[in-house]
Amino acid sequence: MGNERTLIVVPAFNEQHNILRVIADIRKDIPGADILVINDCSGDNTAERARAAGAQVVDLPYNLGIGGAVQTGFKYACAHQYDYVVQIDGDGQHIPAEVRKLRLAMERTGSDMVIGSRFLNVHSFKTTCCRRLGIRFFYWLFLVLLHIRVTDSTSGFRLYNKKCIGVLARHYPSDYPEPDAIVLLKKQGLNISETGVEMRARQHGESSITAWKSPYYMLKVSLSILFSCSRTRC
Amino acid sequence: MGDIDKIHLLGMVFSLFVLTSVGLLVRGRLLKEKYALVWLLIGAFILVMSVFDNLMDWFSALIGVDYAPSALFAILIACAYLLLLNVSVAISDLKRHNKALTQELGLTRLRLEELEKKVNRLER
Repeated sequence: MGNERTLIVVPAFNEQHNILRVIADIRKDIPGADILVINDCSGDNTAERARAAGAQVVDLPYNLGIGGAVQTGFKYACAHQYDYVVQIDGDGQHIPAEVRKLRLAMERTGSDMVIGSRFLNVHSFKTTCCRRLGIRFFYWLFLVLLHIRVTDSTSGFRLYNKKCIGVLARHYPSDYPEPDAIVLLKKQGLNISETGVEMRARQHGESSITAWKSPYYMLKVSLSILFSCSRTRC
Repeated sequence: MGDIDKIHLLGMVFSLFVLTSVGLLVRGRLLKEKYALVWLLIGAFILVMSVFDNLMDWFSALIGVDYAPSALFAILIACAYLLLLNVSVAISDLKRHNKALTQELGLTRLRLEELEKKVNRLER
């Protein structure tokens, strides 16, 4: 993408075992991109290791949650006039080399945001039955409400262009932001596409959505989506 | 009738207590006028209801409730709900502002670190 500047936003909360490798991979596979780690008030050495690995680190004074952390990245990107933002989670699930696929998809489709999907063409990713069911539900919800096909609305592995950065720096959902952000951007008249990518199963730590939290997750996200749809102004 | 008079007196004392407390809190800038309004309305409502004791009978007959006190309970519970909603809105507002400030603080801290590094390099 020539002289255009890309910011890799890495939200991280207690990821001291993963962060070194994540940043090393980003530097190796996406040379030229700037890396901003959002340390969401980790209690371990996430921030120190990220700095040692050569990333810029924003330390949040208290735990904002994934939404607030990622939005901090958008605010930074907006203030420093980056052309693209890629979100790569600090837990090592997202593979930096796969960003190439996101870029190709953006060039090919001319869309404003590209979601890296685990379920499009690629079948390497093993996930729980519950999560699969939830993702199917969101697939239908998006199809009915927004008339778009999103196979992996909960994926945080995304490439955003400048238009998206502007919108999301102002408004970004807080708790479980990924599906909701799609609605927000779509409502702004931006185009969204998906491309199949590989993802790793996480190496250390646990997913934020545990079994007993998932009904709450579904309800909360569905409600947020409905409210976002009903909003006339951003 | 002695009991009824006592409870009316109690209602008046309580409502006057609420009204003066709200007044003092606003005066001392401990309570914002915006949130004081709903408290003042409730205090005034209790006061009016205590002073004019047949008002409640008239009102409950109007909405078709046989037992006047239950109409009063219904109204007060409705008021409490509205008040709680008011509080939830205020909390959401605070959370939103708090988040924005936190992000700004994090970003500013990073900027400061970068500037410090630059200054240190220049001084050396």
